[in-house]
Amino acid sequence: MIRVVSLKKAVAAGLAGAAVMELSSFAASVAGLPTVDFVAQLSSVAFDHSPILTNAAALGVHLAVGVCWAVFYAFFFWGRINARPPFQGLLFSLLPAALAIFIVYPELALIRHHSAVVTLDVRSFLAPLTLPNSAGLLVEHALFGLTIGAIYRRPVGYAADKKPAPPAARRRSETRCKRDPASTAFIFATGIECSYPTIEHGRWRRDEMESTDHYALWQRDFELAREIGITHIRYGPPLHLIFEGPGAYDWAYSDPQMEELRDAGPEPIVDLCHFGVPSWLGNLQNPEIGKALAEYAAAFAERYPWVRFYTPVNEMYVCARMSALDGIWNEQLHDEGAYARAAWNLADASIRMSDAILQRRPDAIFVNSESSEFYQPCCPDPHVQRAAEEANDRRFLPLDLIYAHPLSKRMGDVLGSQGIAADDIERLGRREVPRRSILGVDYYEWNERLIDREGKPLALGELFGWYVIADQYWQRYRRPMMHTETNKMDAAGAPRWLWRQWHNVQLLRKAGVPLVGFTWYSLTDQIDWSIAMSQPLGIVYPVGLFDLNREARTVGLSYMHLIDLYRDEPDYSECKALKEIMG
Amino acid sequence: MATFLSVHGYDPGATQRPLLSGAISGVLATAPAVAVLIWFGSLSVETNILGLPTWATLVLGWAIMAAAGALYAGVFGRAANNPHGGWLFGMAFGFALWAAGAVLVLPIVSGGKAPAGLAALGVALSMLAWGLAIGILLPFVHRPLHENLEKASRAAQYGPSAAAGKERPVREQRQENRG
Repeated sequence: MIRVVSLKKAVAAGLAGAAVMELSSFAASVAGLPTVDFVAQLSSVAFDHSPILTNAAALGVHLAVGVCWAVFYAFFFWGRINARPPFQGLLFSLLPAALAIFIVYPELALIRHHSAVVTLDVRSFLAPLTLPNSAGLLVEHALFGLTIGAIYRRPVGYAADKKPAPPAARRRSETRCKRDPASTAFIFATGIECSYPTIEHGRWRRDEMESTDHYALWQRDFELAREIGITHIRYGPPLHLIFEGPGAYDWAYSDPQMEELRDAGPEPIVDLCHFGVPSWLGNLQNPEIGKALAEYAAAFAERYPWVRFYTPVNEMYVCARMSALDGIWNEQLHDEGAYARAAWNLADASIRMSDAILQRRPDAIFVNSESSEFYQPCCPDPHVQRAAEEANDRRFLPLDLIYAHPLSKRMGDVLGSQGIAADDIERLGRREVPRRSILGVDYYEWNERLIDREGKPLALGELFGWYVIADQYWQRYRRPMMHTETNKMDAAGAPRWLWRQWHNVQLLRKAGVPLVGFTWYSLTDQIDWSIAMSQPLGIVYPVGLFDLNREARTVGLSYMHLIDLYRDEPDYSECKALKEIMG
Repeated sequence: MATFLSVHGYDPGATQRPLLSGAISGVLATAPAVAVLIWFGSLSVETNILGLPTWATLVLGWAIMAAAGALYAGVFGRAANNPHGGWLFGMAFGFALWAAGAVLVLPIVSGGKAPAGLAALGVALSMLAWGLAIGILLPFVHRPLHENLEKASRAAQYGPSAAAGKERPVREQRQENRG
């Protein structure tokens, strides 16, 4: 699949477009203007015995052609240029207009011939064309384009107050795989991309599981993961759909999948909050989200008591930055104080959720996944140096809070300015971090950034590499670690990236860092991550081990090769660091 | 469209056999197309234009459509495997074949002769029917023809040497320049 298309919207747009075309043609003929009535043209070609039937058949054909063009527009044109949707449609209409003028209209004239064979050349083929009827065709198609452009928009996601259909029921599985909850082998993981932030100021919900068809194909997804040797899967049941309000849960959105994972694996690392909160909780500025999410975590742990691995809140830094500083998701603010408030609320939620889970599952293991970022000043300019320092302080804030690490003075001051009491900050600083906490360090090629002379961050690519950046996190927190996310947008270059990341992992392990796992994220391609899900365009982001047709990508084969090569090696078949955590 | 497809890799899937599945689908999809040609009387018209017996026209048609199917599967790559959009891509390809083949190529190879009237309509509809059929069939035909994942993953190109990439990041130092 190359584009996620809303067929319903495209069909509606196509029908409306063709109808508008027909109406405009009728209006033009009444007004005495030059026009080409395709329905009349078609009906006179083959079905000239019963006028009502022929007109109906011709109208049906014309509507069907309109639908085909609208779907074509949805796949290949929609969202490709930065213009208002009707104008995108208008520009697109040049293509069907050209084909109608130079191919279809002359061919219709040919079809109306009474002989079965004609002799023709290009000039005689194009002879039926005149300037007025060409102009008429152009105008009619322009109206068609404007109509489909106006109607076809937002092909992915849904209104924030709506719910998609629940996941498909569980089929009887033929797999012989069994989950091994006591395994201490090195973790070879992937994940199901499950982000669900809101955009358009809370009105539109992005839901990656819905956009990638996981709700329909979840069982196939787990089968594919098992087939290539995945041992653990990062999995985030949709919080915004399950948690309907205080004490109200709709487990239909997680029960079938969790049952399958419980029985056949891979072992889930359950991601309880992934870039969004239910609409009734508002957004990340709400100080009540910690308490509410703790209630959800407790309910989840009670419903699925066999789950041992949890990520209470995924990538708190990224979530807070994108929502409160970059203005893209959820509250969509651009404010340092709002960032600090969001980071505090998320850290508070993470801590409360961990505590709630530990009350029900005292041996729970927490994989605190965070994006590993690094900001390098471009020059000795003090302003640039300070901007880099601030950015580096900011990236550590959520982890500092949950891992009881002293805060930088600047971040402490910003929290204070948000009304967060010094006592509360100190209380977190004295907190005993759960023993079974694994620091998950994610890494992508844009995570290392250069602060340029204007103080703006520029993605550097792999300057120092995951080894160096992850080591910064190791030195700061001294927690067992896991490489919890990586991928590469270039489908052809992905195997290279995978193996290079793997060499970083091996080197860090050799250096003595207790590293328990590696993750290629995600199992399938994602949607709109090339634009950080800021608009609902439906663009496929080809980073998966499998594409959205569930066909293997080369990186899927490489990962299978890698797992096959290492999983039985003594250092990997039993991972000392993981064994220690599991014990 | 080409640049858009290229972002996703033109490869039709690492474990797939696009030429084989495309050719098989192309042959299968010719059946409804031939039915349309016969229905509209277009087959006999084409036979007359080409100056071939009916059976030879059919064999030639099937061979051309097998090649066209392989071309379709190769060019559209992963998009052709899409059960949601395959029908449309197939019809788009069928339309293009009709525009290029029936409207332009056939008159050239036949000295300017082209079907007209209902026969011309039959030719157009048969190509759309063929496109629709191959678009629907291909996602299902290619699946049983897949290479086994385990076997495919063992290929050297997916193994550790992939870390250096196809285009080696650093050119190896020439032997004679080494100290």
